[in-house]
Amino acid sequence: MNAFGRGFDSRRLHHHPTMRFFRIVRPAAAALAAVLLFAAAPPARAQEPALRTVVIDPGHGGLESGAKGRFGNLEKDITLAVSLKLKALIEKGMDFEVVLTRDRDVDVSIENRSAIANNHKASLFISVHANGAVQKKAAGSETFFLSLNATDEETRRLAYLENNSSDLQSRIDPSTDDDLMMILWDMAQNAYIKESSRLAELVQGELDAMLGTRNRGIKQAPFKVLTGVACPAVLVETAFISNPDEEQKLASDDFQNKVAEAVYRGLARYLRKGE
Amino acid sequence: MAAKKRKKGGISRSALVLTFLILALAVLVIIFFNGQGGEKVKRGAEAVAPKARTEAKAKPVETRAVTLFFVADDDDLLHKETRTIPAGPNEADEAERALAELIRGSEEGLSSPLPARTRVRQVFIAKDGVATVDLSRDVAENFAYGSTSELAAVYAVVNTLVYNFKPVKKVVFLVEGAERETLGGHVDLTRAFFPDYSLVAR
Repeated sequence: MNAFGRGFDSRRLHHHPTMRFFRIVRPAAAALAAVLLFAAAPPARAQEPALRTVVIDPGHGGLESGAKGRFGNLEKDITLAVSLKLKALIEKGMDFEVVLTRDRDVDVSIENRSAIANNHKASLFISVHANGAVQKKAAGSETFFLSLNATDEETRRLAYLENNSSDLQSRIDPSTDDDLMMILWDMAQNAYIKESSRLAELVQGELDAMLGTRNRGIKQAPFKVLTGVACPAVLVETAFISNPDEEQKLASDDFQNKVAEAVYRGLARYLRKGE
Repeated sequence: MAAKKRKKGGISRSALVLTFLILALAVLVIIFFNGQGGEKVKRGAEAVAPKARTEAKAKPVETRAVTLFFVADDDDLLHKETRTIPAGPNEADEAERALAELIRGSEEGLSSPLPARTRVRQVFIAKDGVATVDLSRDVAENFAYGSTSELAAVYAVVNTLVYNFKPVKKVVFLVEGAERETLGGHVDLTRAFFPDYSLVAR
């Protein structure tokens, strides 16, 4: 399952000679593509999908455990528990369909996580994680959105998409050349940085209000799972599993409920302001 | 006639087998010596740092100072530490030594964000300013990264290279000679990294 409906292997494409060519002419090609897509897009998109979708991504899973705590708790188990609670809250309180990138302890590739969001035409993407640091004292909660700093200059030049695009998804014609589509997906998140930042801020505000953990604020980082998502997307670092005190909190049902409730409230505020 | 043919066939077959055996032996010998040579070169490169330090008094070895980036216990920032390494012959060699020191750890009570078993396989600096760092699989395997520790590991390497070596503008990672998506499921390793000094303590 992926965004293109067929084998999607960025490594293979990166080595592909046409890909090298596209790297060189990337800005020009993408600008051309944008123009073509504008021309191809219907003048007005009257029909909005009736049911909107939130994709929740429980970090890690299967063989990939993520960070580990001193008492043996694994990041993958905590992220799944919190995600399931968050799913229940949203389904109960909002007019949203909720899709999980995994609902049990299985491996899901990072590319498939963003592809699941794009295939379901997700309106929002929330990746749930538990943090880990070398320093045992590191503690607190923080919310990330994608940084443009780490992406190539060429993609930054294409930031104009941000001004023109409310919905990149609908403007990508399925018949578009594969390489070109890859480039557009590659920078899909760039068009949503502002919205992602707003979502991060609101979610972080609620985490701070509800959890009693140190507020580490909102941050930007080049997280792989966020790059390919074509909607506002954040990654929530609930607390540090590497910190023994916070590990015990993270493992508790009570704290997990609070995290889910906080993200839910942040989401609700985001939607209220956005509409 | 038939017997002759068979005999002829027999000779050429045994000749073939013999040739094959000789070839196989030759290949094995080549592999054996190449393998050893590679080992030796690697061991040589690794041994340079400590050896040079002990011999520094006897024979003056040209050295240079590099700034390494470690993590401290009481904040989430990267902290600078200066170290002297043998200089030359080229910047890629120095970069390898600087990263080996980064992995070896701090001499001022800080911690290295990289797993201690990690080896620097190679650093290659291209003319366009992209340094490719090839680390052994230990950097990613049997090490549980969280977002914070993964960011620290990546940017300790990126900052160390860009800060100390003028030709380096961006850094690309390889693990055991191959591209890898992430070290531990968080930071996108498929793109080149610019340094991030916002993570560094002032």
